[in-house]
Amino acid sequence: MSSEDIIQEAKQSLAHLKKVRGDDAETLIADARYGFISGLMKDVLQKPSVERRTISDKVDKVIINRLLGIPIFLALMYGVFQFTFVLSVPFMDWIDSAFGWLAGQAAGIDGWFGALLADGIIGGVGSVLIFIPPIFLLFIALSILEDSGYMARAAFVMDHMMHKIGLHGRSFVPMIMGFGCNVPAIMATRTIENPKDRLVTILINPMMSCGARLPIYIMLALFFFSAHQGLVVFSMYAVGMVIAILLAFIFRKRLVKGESGHFVMELPPYRMPTIIGVLTHMWERGSVFIARAGTLIFAVVVLIWLLDYTGALEPIGRTFAPIFAPCGFGQWESTVAVVFGVLAKEVVVGTFGTLFGIGGGIVGGTLAFELGWSALTAYSFMIFCLVSVPCVATLGIIRRETNSWKWTGFVAAYTLILAWILATLIYQIGSLFV
Amino acid sequence: MAKNITVALAGNPNSGKTTVFNNLTGARQHVGNWPGVTVEKKEGGFGHRGYNINVVDLPGVYSLTAYSPDEVVARNFILKEEPDVVVDIVDASNLERNLYLAVQLLELGAKVIIALNMMDVAESRKYKINVKELSRLMGMPVVPMVASHNKGTEDLRGTIVDVVEGKVPADGAYLEYGKDVEGEISRLEGVIASSPLARRYSPRWLAIKLLERDEEIVGMVKEGAHV
Repeated sequence: MSSEDIIQEAKQSLAHLKKVRGDDAETLIADARYGFISGLMKDVLQKPSVERRTISDKVDKVIINRLLGIPIFLALMYGVFQFTFVLSVPFMDWIDSAFGWLAGQAAGIDGWFGALLADGIIGGVGSVLIFIPPIFLLFIALSILEDSGYMARAAFVMDHMMHKIGLHGRSFVPMIMGFGCNVPAIMATRTIENPKDRLVTILINPMMSCGARLPIYIMLALFFFSAHQGLVVFSMYAVGMVIAILLAFIFRKRLVKGESGHFVMELPPYRMPTIIGVLTHMWERGSVFIARAGTLIFAVVVLIWLLDYTGALEPIGRTFAPIFAPCGFGQWESTVAVVFGVLAKEVVVGTFGTLFGIGGGIVGGTLAFELGWSALTAYSFMIFCLVSVPCVATLGIIRRETNSWKWTGFVAAYTLILAWILATLIYQIGSLFV
Repeated sequence: MAKNITVALAGNPNSGKTTVFNNLTGARQHVGNWPGVTVEKKEGGFGHRGYNINVVDLPGVYSLTAYSPDEVVARNFILKEEPDVVVDIVDASNLERNLYLAVQLLELGAKVIIALNMMDVAESRKYKINVKELSRLMGMPVVPMVASHNKGTEDLRGTIVDVVEGKVPADGAYLEYGKDVEGEISRLEGVIASSPLARRYSPRWLAIKLLERDEEIVGMVKEGAHV
């Protein structure tokens, strides 16, 4: 029998079954499996005669309520950022003073080596490492929400809205994962069966603010928004999500047209997260940032320090600085930070640390006094960093997962243009009022 | 010389699969990627009763269709690498839904052990599960576990070796699809039997997949013997 014959025979079988049973063979087979299981269940499982509503069911009445679901989600996310902030400040102070002491020791060493140690390495890498506590605390909070079963509910709640924008709730999970790092989040889109849904979910993922961008917000919020730090950082994540949703809607309407997939949203039962589980998940996500600080970030800040020490950096910065003048941060220092930030978002903070030779905790103040930044400049800068070109690792994974340079280039281009427009709008319109 | 055994861990997401994997392998594990795709591949190992047991953690899936890369990876590993034993981690508090995967593993013709996890949750809801009857009806050993408290790990290790040594049957129940479907299955089985594909895969399973219009299998049949 040739392979073509087999296919023909299979088609006959399908047609025959459709005729005699009025249903697809697929359905008949699935029914047989479910039938087997439910029959088996009767012999194997005895549930209490009147099964009370489980606690899960009761909690779900509120959590996945049509009206309350989204406000509850937003309130929880706001709580997450408050929690991250309040708890991380003392840890950051300790690390900051430890690096301050180290830098003081290194400053005693004469010549270029002392400068490299104090400004380049301790200033650059240190100013990134001080943000490890908030990153880890954020990941603890997200792990608790995931392990408890809440995130599956959040996806369920969003399912309704996601359908309106042409996606479905399953696309929401990679979006939330993007709060950790966009790279695994984009890999996680593999659970989306429909290729068009998957593509759009990938394209918007860079709008989900990752852990590496958190240091930028905190650095600026600490100084410029000291009374509303949690709220300002939360607003970054919220703005990112709103942009992502709007973009998804536009992309689905204009670029990637076609039917959206159907599937059932799972609601796994609530579980009490275990301490070990939460810490493991925190470490899985967070350890990357420590490793990067010692490798990639280290290399880049040394490079920046070297360019600065030899006087090559300022001309580079000055060349591109006029581009950012309408956004409010057209200084060569911030230009360099943004440009090198494409290598990794932590570099933005590390660059300031290196250039000013100071710890991350007081970068905000230095930006105000040395570069004349206002709260408005800071917010415009934060928005730019949120939206602009994702890091090279994210672009790399987009290339691999879409298998297309075209879409990768598209992401790089749209994020850059959109970031510039938004930052300029915020700064220019804001300037009219401030 | 210790003999090598390969065990694949299958299970739904949220069934506690990762915990079982960690309990079994402890520190002996490493993480890579499945060839050709970016689905994470975790492997680990342990020794037991003179066997060197290699454990491969398959992606968490609800079924074994060809709809998502995770499902294809899980299915292809079982089909092509032919692990000695497949351990299906089943959430005892959600037995009915979790068994759907077990049934599909049974169709694949793999030797399957059900690791009945989260027995504590099932008990707290006053579910009474007849483990012996479950094992008899499914035709595979069932090991009750509470992986979060590392209970049942030794039993599972022992059962894996028992299955490999043939002391415990694990060939699975025979699933009937009803008269009409069975008629078509056996007709197609006959057609497939003469094809080279039948040397690699069970003709019955291929027939079922063709009837389900499984894209991968249809493609494989179309290409003929090249797979």
